Amino acid sequence: MRKFFGTSVVAVSAAAMLALAGCGSGRDGDSDSGGEAAKGFAANSLIGVALPAKTSENWVLAGDLFTNGLKEAGFQADVQYAGASTTVADQQAQITAMTTKGAKVIVIGATDAAQLSTQVAAAHAAGAKVIAYDRLITNTPDLDYYVAFDNFKVGQLQGQALLDGMKAKKPNGPYNIELFSGSPDDNNAGVFFNGAMDVLKPEIDKGNVVVASGQKDVKQTAIQGWKAEGAQARMDQLLTSTYGNKELDGVLSPNDTLARAILTSVKGAGKPIPVVTGQDSEVESVKSIVAGEQYMTINKDTRNLVKETINMVKALQAGDKPQVNDTESYNNGSKVVDTFLLPPVAVTKANAAEAYANDPKLAPLTK
Amino acid sequence: MSRIKDLQKNLFGGTTSNARQFGMIFTLVAIVVLFQILTDGLTLRSDNLIALFQQNSYILILAIGMLMVIVAGHIDLSVGSVAAFAGILVAKSMADWSLPWPVAILFGLAIGAIIGAWQGFWVAYIGVPAFIVTLAGMLLFRGGNQYIGNANTIPVPEGFREIGSGFLPEFGPNTGYNNATLLLGLAAAVAVVWREIQARKTRRAMDADPAPMWISILRMAIMVGVIAFAALRFASGRVGTSFPISGIILLVLVIAYSFYTRNTAGGRHIYAVGGNSRAAELSGVKLKRVNFFVMMNMSVLAALAGMIFVARSAASGPQDGNGWELDAIAAVFIGGAAVSGGIGTISGSIVGGLVMAVLNNGLQLMGVGTDRVQIIKGLVLLLAVAIDVYNKSQGRFSIIGSLMRPFRRDDSAPPASPPDAEREPAKAAVSG
Amino acid sequence: MSDVPILLEMRSITKEFPGVKALSDVNLVVRAGEIHAICGENGAGKSTLMKVLSGVYPHGSYDGKIIYQGSESKFSDIRASENAGIVIIHQELALIPGMSIAENIFLGNEPRKRGAIDWKAANRMALDLMARVGLEEDPDTLIKDIGVGKQQLVEIAKAFAKDVKLLILDEPTAALNEADSRHLLDLLRGFRSRGITSIMISHKLNEIEAIADQITILRDGRTVETLDVKADGVDEDRIVRGMVGRELSSRFPDHTPKIGDVFFEVRNWNVRHPISADRQVCKNESFVVRRGEIVGFAGLMGAGRTELAMSVFGRSYGVYESGTIIKDGKEIVLKSVADAIDNGLAYVSEDRKAIGLNLLDDIKSSTVAAKLSKISHHGVLSEVEEYQAAEAYRKELRTKAPTVDESVSKLSGGNQQKVVLAKWMFTDPDLLILDEPTRGIDVGAKYEIYGIIQRLADQGKGVVVISSELPELIGLCDRIYTVFEGAITGEIARADATPETLMKQMTSTKKLATR
Repeated sequence: MRKFFGTSVVAVSAAAMLALAGCGSGRDGDSDSGGEAAKGFAANSLIGVALPAKTSENWVLAGDLFTNGLKEAGFQADVQYAGASTTVADQQAQITAMTTKGAKVIVIGATDAAQLSTQVAAAHAAGAKVIAYDRLITNTPDLDYYVAFDNFKVGQLQGQALLDGMKAKKPNGPYNIELFSGSPDDNNAGVFFNGAMDVLKPEIDKGNVVVASGQKDVKQTAIQGWKAEGAQARMDQLLTSTYGNKELDGVLSPNDTLARAILTSVKGAGKPIPVVTGQDSEVESVKSIVAGEQYMTINKDTRNLVKETINMVKALQAGDKPQVNDTESYNNGSKVVDTFLLPPVAVTKANAAEAYANDPKLAPLTK
Repeated sequence: MSRIKDLQKNLFGGTTSNARQFGMIFTLVAIVVLFQILTDGLTLRSDNLIALFQQNSYILILAIGMLMVIVAGHIDLSVGSVAAFAGILVAKSMADWSLPWPVAILFGLAIGAIIGAWQGFWVAYIGVPAFIVTLAGMLLFRGGNQYIGNANTIPVPEGFREIGSGFLPEFGPNTGYNNATLLLGLAAAVAVVWREIQARKTRRAMDADPAPMWISILRMAIMVGVIAFAALRFASGRVGTSFPISGIILLVLVIAYSFYTRNTAGGRHIYAVGGNSRAAELSGVKLKRVNFFVMMNMSVLAALAGMIFVARSAASGPQDGNGWELDAIAAVFIGGAAVSGGIGTISGSIVGGLVMAVLNNGLQLMGVGTDRVQIIKGLVLLLAVAIDVYNKSQGRFSIIGSLMRPFRRDDSAPPASPPDAEREPAKAAVSG
Repeated sequence: MSDVPILLEMRSITKEFPGVKALSDVNLVVRAGEIHAICGENGAGKSTLMKVLSGVYPHGSYDGKIIYQGSESKFSDIRASENAGIVIIHQELALIPGMSIAENIFLGNEPRKRGAIDWKAANRMALDLMARVGLEEDPDTLIKDIGVGKQQLVEIAKAFAKDVKLLILDEPTAALNEADSRHLLDLLRGFRSRGITSIMISHKLNEIEAIADQITILRDGRTVETLDVKADGVDEDRIVRGMVGRELSSRFPDHTPKIGDVFFEVRNWNVRHPISADRQVCKNESFVVRRGEIVGFAGLMGAGRTELAMSVFGRSYGVYESGTIIKDGKEIVLKSVADAIDNGLAYVSEDRKAIGLNLLDDIKSSTVAAKLSKISHHGVLSEVEEYQAAEAYRKELRTKAPTVDESVSKLSGGNQQKVVLAKWMFTDPDLLILDEPTRGIDVGAKYEIYGIIQRLADQGKGVVVISSELPELIGLCDRIYTVFEGAITGEIARADATPETLMKQMTSTKKLATR
């Protein structure tokens, strides 16, 4: 009885294996269709867009623009946001699902740019093109393109605006300035700072501009975690130590949040308001600019960034090589990624109304 | 008629599985089939199955430990934070101190053990409720993760990534399949057959009639069929992919812990403590030791899960582990564990975890956003437990259980008097 | 009696659970103003019948009719039956320990004034209700600060707050001492004289004989008979005959003890209370047990018998202070329950549901729970040996269960107790301590348990029995120690033991040595 039992089981299982093997799909080769780029794909293909959690209005806006823009262009769009609490894991699963569904292009606004290499590799292996949107995905050789605003340019605009602003207030130098930079763990922070120093360094070397505290090294200027209170504390300390009887003409601030913290500190010390730069076009800062306190900010229009990304997708569909304008600067740790950089726009009180004309939220503030 | 009756009695309940667990397996199959249809066959495609296992192995590993914690009558809210804390330390150890990755894995497990000992100490020896201890741990180790990592993302080397994103190697003749996965499937099939034979032996030794031979064969055929199907699916993915390493780790843990909880005195003691801690203590169970062990074990598994996630993500980041405790707890409760402790099985929790995983995956394949996925998952958790609670209060088995009633082995039923036995299927047909 | 109007009639009540017919065709007629006792062995269907009556099992879930105050009642839940004046007081009291007497009395039924609870009125009404049940306490006293007896009275007061017409008491005196029991029975008589009808479920046949007007006896879910106590001249034996369906010639099996030498001795045992360290719960207690001997411990509730037993059993109660345990001539130190088990001690606790059994377990895992090493090989449990051990005990102790896979929660009290006994017999003990081994167990099962105890003694084991029922101690034990306020006050041989002598020493500190 036992014998019969054993053999019959083996027989059944063998039969099942064979039956399934018969109808099994076999395996795809290492489908490196990713390599032969120039073929294009069907015009109604699926395009996946994986964005971070809806924590800022920018991402919500980008998602809507992608959904509508891709549909208008004739694609099927699958736009997904990561969940609010389980961001990275969600995004990983979403990218994988898009790959499984056969998306031809996957656009990724990474929640954590260093934690997606496995999924990007899988997408690439399945023949999808991967475009990093706004944030450069690192440590993967499988990323195809990167679209973002030119952050070096942002720094340059900030530096230039600082000089222009001080000149407008006081025709002749030397000008006393202080430097602030962003969080040391953010790649972009260094890029902003270097861009600004690209403009400021020659003037400093000439002696036309003086960093009165002497704190010029990025280690000294950095504000951990982009924290407003960090900037305010550093400014307080600088005012006490350096500006007892000196006049502060300008402050290089990497973004709006820090700019407002710096202004708060200066006002608290009862000093005249210096020229302060910023970035991001935050509502409070735009108000501040219109009121004549903060000197400038940077406008990075999400609409343009999305438009360029969709243009890339269209080019890929047609089998063309998408337009890129930088093939050298962006090394993600594994390769230099072909990049399309959009120019940012510097906004001061003078051009605020024009710059925000298309922005339903900011436009009213400038009137 | 008698054959049908045999089938009803024996097909799936041959071991000690209960109706609830069987209901969950049925639900899982139903959800898989549903999504297989809704996604035009994407759900069961090789690459999706592989991704499904990779994506969820760490949650399922947590569910194993969580099951034991919940059975002992506790809860652990800190697993996500512990995973993230161990993950960042392991990543740092490789990046900054250049620990070779195998040593780093041991280091990670040791961190888990130390954290577990810390939490176990408060729970078992001081008597602080586990809810509080692990709520504190949740904050403590999340903060520790951010403090050590400066909220940075730290990449890990290739070798280490294998445990999260690696696959069984390719070797041997070109069969059109991954040979390693095929061998694994074969081993599993043999194990199923061997277990069935052992179970029959045991039944005979207990002077109970084993199920009729043809039932055993049918049952094995179904299981072997499922294994063969899965093995072929996993083996036929893109070249270079196959059954994932993280899946192997999970399988080994499931088998080991199932054995431990079912077949050893230590496992029994966990159930005894959760069922009635005072009675357990008066039966010679070392209460403190059991509580200490389950809490410590949980943290070790959390550290392992954290490392697997880091390996799969190729880097340790500040967001790692967010919300994992809830996924693991949900898996355990969907899998039939009792909130008050004392009841639950490893296999049930794994099935519960898979239900959530397939649901998640299927909805994502359909392009449903995370917001709605969360709503649906929340409702599923509530419904699964509510149905069970309601039916228990009505003195019946779960709806799914009663649907499946014809298949349930019912030892407690009096030796089937014919009219009774005839009535059962009829009742089930009505409720179905 | 037949001229008194019928208050309640339950007609052909049948209630089925999956696989079990708990009640079949049960009839009950209760007349206004009487005390009606319902007797039956555990599992006879008494509780189920009361649950049907009180709406726990709603109308439609059973067959048959309930006619109450002249019309058919279809209670959908407890609230419906309470609104009709039927209040059930369960064996496990439904009071909230952290709330005051008044709060408990009016819980869910609070007197209100403009939406807010009117505590002044509540306290006043509480005092009035408390007076009716003879409870003299401040209504603001917390429930946890009063004894079980008084808690029982609070429950009854709570029933009066709901304007009770039919009071159902399930084992009301099970947890009460002599004095409290007597007070409660007097109270019931008082209610009768005021026209309140009571139904009482009890195992204490002497109480039933003393107080009941009518007795309905259930057996195996059927009505056996209804007796009129006065008219039929009912006594205890008559009730027992109805319950078990046969004449029990003796309440105890015949037994000739085979007593050997002293093998277990506790000397100068001192233990402090676990929380209030200044309270000494064991005061220099010493006792001996001989092989083959059944030793009784008599004492009032709270005398410290359980505390003594548990502190000896691996220090599982209180804070050990001093004292030695000598077994087989050697001193042993038992620091944990595991030590105690390894040294051949077994303790069967008084509360099997709370601390004796894991009610989630089945019979077989309960049986082996205290000595898993016996069925383990290299750490792996043997399912087969577990089954065989459990099955052997099931047969030996004649536990009524279809298989050993049955959950212990489904067993009757007597059968649960047999499982607990099996669990401890499985550890091969030399000394068994049985704390209230027959509490809540019906007459037939008691007889069997006594038999088991005697057999264990005959195997050369020492058995210690702690019991609050003096007849049980006198009938079963070879020697009895009396305990009063944490001290052993006397030692009485079987031949000299009468309820009077025991009671005298149980209530006095004077140490009398009769041997």
